[in-house]
Amino acid sequence: MTPSNTRQATNALLFLGPACLFLVCLLLIPIIVDLVVAFTDMSQTVRVGEFTTDQFGKLVKANPEALLGFELRGSFYRALSLSAVYVVCTLAIFNVTFALILALTTTALPDWLGGLYRAIWLMPRMAPSVVYGLLWLWVVDPTDRGLLNQILLAFGLDPINMKLDAPVTLIVFANGFIGASLGMLILTSSIRSIPQHLFYAARADGAGSLSITRHIVLPALRWPLSYITVFQSLSLLVSFEYIFLIMGPARSTMTMSMLAYTKTLAPGIGSGQYAYGAAITLILIGIGMVSALLLYRLTNMKRLLTRPRIEVQ
Amino acid sequence: MFRFILGDSMKRTLSAVAAVLMTSTAFTALSFTAPAFAETVTIDLWSRADRSGPLRAGNIVSAAEQLNRVFAAAGSDTRVGINLIETNAAGFDADALDLLKAHSVGETPDIAIAAHEWIGSFVEAGFAANLEEHITANAAMYADMIPELWTSVMYKGERYGIPQDSEIRMFFVNNDILRAAGYDQAYIDALPGKVETGEFTMFDWCDLAADTVTKGAAKIGWVHRPNVGPDFQMAMASFGIDIYNDDEAKLQITKQGLTDYYGWLKYCVDNGSLPADMTTYSWDSTHAAFRGGDAMGKFHGIWNVGAQMDSFGLSNEKEYFDKLTWIHAPAGKKGGAPKNLSHPVVYVVGDTENKDLAALLVAMASQHVPNTAHAVGTNHTPIMYGQTAMPEFIEKGWALIAGTPMLKYAEFMPNHAKIGQYNAITYTGIQAVETGEMSPQEAAEMVIEELEIELGDDVIILD
Repeated sequence: MTPSNTRQATNALLFLGPACLFLVCLLLIPIIVDLVVAFTDMSQTVRVGEFTTDQFGKLVKANPEALLGFELRGSFYRALSLSAVYVVCTLAIFNVTFALILALTTTALPDWLGGLYRAIWLMPRMAPSVVYGLLWLWVVDPTDRGLLNQILLAFGLDPINMKLDAPVTLIVFANGFIGASLGMLILTSSIRSIPQHLFYAARADGAGSLSITRHIVLPALRWPLSYITVFQSLSLLVSFEYIFLIMGPARSTMTMSMLAYTKTLAPGIGSGQYAYGAAITLILIGIGMVSALLLYRLTNMKRLLTRPRIEVQ
Repeated sequence: MFRFILGDSMKRTLSAVAAVLMTSTAFTALSFTAPAFAETVTIDLWSRADRSGPLRAGNIVSAAEQLNRVFAAAGSDTRVGINLIETNAAGFDADALDLLKAHSVGETPDIAIAAHEWIGSFVEAGFAANLEEHITANAAMYADMIPELWTSVMYKGERYGIPQDSEIRMFFVNNDILRAAGYDQAYIDALPGKVETGEFTMFDWCDLAADTVTKGAAKIGWVHRPNVGPDFQMAMASFGIDIYNDDEAKLQITKQGLTDYYGWLKYCVDNGSLPADMTTYSWDSTHAAFRGGDAMGKFHGIWNVGAQMDSFGLSNEKEYFDKLTWIHAPAGKKGGAPKNLSHPVVYVVGDTENKDLAALLVAMASQHVPNTAHAVGTNHTPIMYGQTAMPEFIEKGWALIAGTPMLKYAEFMPNHAKIGQYNAITYTGIQAVETGEMSPQEAAEMVIEELEIELGDDVIILD
């Protein structure tokens, strides 16, 4: 090996080594463990007695009339449906659309005012999850002690109980308000990176605000929006902490990630079924991978990641 | 289903790898070791850090000190040291799972303090030692034990633990709300008797609570616990659901009983006595509803007495029973038997080389004086009959003395490894019915399907 090759190898090890180690320890090994545990009978103790596909059998039930001879079990089907509704709604309403509105409006405001609004929207991110969860519990408290009901009562309206009557809306709002801030930051920075002369030229040509947004800003946000969509979809698919903090193990918000958590590690609600939880998680990983590939294809992320045709010296 | 059996070495390897990766719950270990003597036998004591019951572990430490004084008096160099492994688990269930994980990687404690229903899991995992011989050999130390409590430590007909404390769970009634709704003192005084004879049923309970709401005396009729837990078992028992088959050591359920039970909950929601969103309440809101004087009734445990005294500003037994009445869970049908529930915490002795010594320390810690110090300090009913005659108990434990006769109707959770799953699944039926998502029949069918799939051969469907 020449000194040059050695140096290259050392550099590669120095620069990529920590990231590779991180990926292997925190991503690859847990997936392999999950894969192995899902095909065992591990529960309560961490002993493995046998390899079996029993855990996956718990997710379906025999039905001779079904196409494949079985159908999804009620609770599993419900968890899949709730996960889909939760992810799509949070993503569509808040993490993309609302984030875009926030970015557009706060960049249109004077710098100090836009900065202030963005700082306010970032506050939930800065608060510990438990504090954020507790604040939501206070907001939606079904009695007239709840902030939401205090506001409704002040306007002469009847109090509402979101935890009972609109539980999915509640978790979409709670996750959306905190999730929108990430998109807002990325999109704001993208808008800021658009060369100012384009705006001046558009104005000189007589373009209005809407035209500028449509023909200059939105095209520049295509890649950030694609990234946010892919990243946040995967993030929402596995998120459960705010659902658990606000709703507890309620049937009405038992998404796939909540189901996996309550069957394995959540205290006092029938947990300790490690292999069963691992099987659910494995399916979740599969759904995540398929969703990521699909979104990658749909948003043409490949083009974003290709080397630019012109290299700027 | 496809399966193949693993070899022992493979099992050990997989278990070790899984344990290292999965045991994420931190625990702290505090050591109380005796000074270095010629021979020190260290007993590992596993206890959840629970401020509401510090003497559960403390009494074992005191017993070891007492034993060391005996050794010293006998001129022996042997000493007993206690290594207290104090965990920070959120509850007894989480703690039991941590304990099982520790045991499965060879960290088996000599004594563990646990909720009794985990005994089945402990025995199946090879952790809990059979204490029949120990109890027979030391009969005098256990002769005064309240016999019903032994049920709580039985697994397949044999005893694998020693009751550490006891409690009674019942329905609390706010007398002032009843008075405000127009019920006279004679009605209030007669209520416990009507429950005992089966004249006052679960449906009467809901009607009474709804009536207090209708008349404006209460904002809420009654509240139950807002999460999975043992309290529901007494209500299920009132509807004839016997959840354990002793002969086969399996859990069981009846579809009809479950439909009746869920039907009763629906009745209570529909008549306005039970909040439809009860299962989304926090514990704080649940306690506040009753202790704040908003709810006519609540079912929970006797240890609430202290907090109730503080909340209602009561100072003695007379004031307490003027304000509140205790009743068993009424029968489901007229003429039926009432039920209640006791949920003892127990000492479990690990199947280790020190198990004989550990069992003796447990026997010493379970005697009248140390146990009374715990019971009176934490509002738990006694484990020995004689404790109720002790001056300390008479002076400070009046509520516990009043609750002890209720143990006659006590049910215990089965010591089955899958009782936690069973309770979690039946609770989903409660959620579904109370929130109006399902009818009682649909919920019963859903729960039975879940029980069959998740518990398999461990549950018997009776009809």
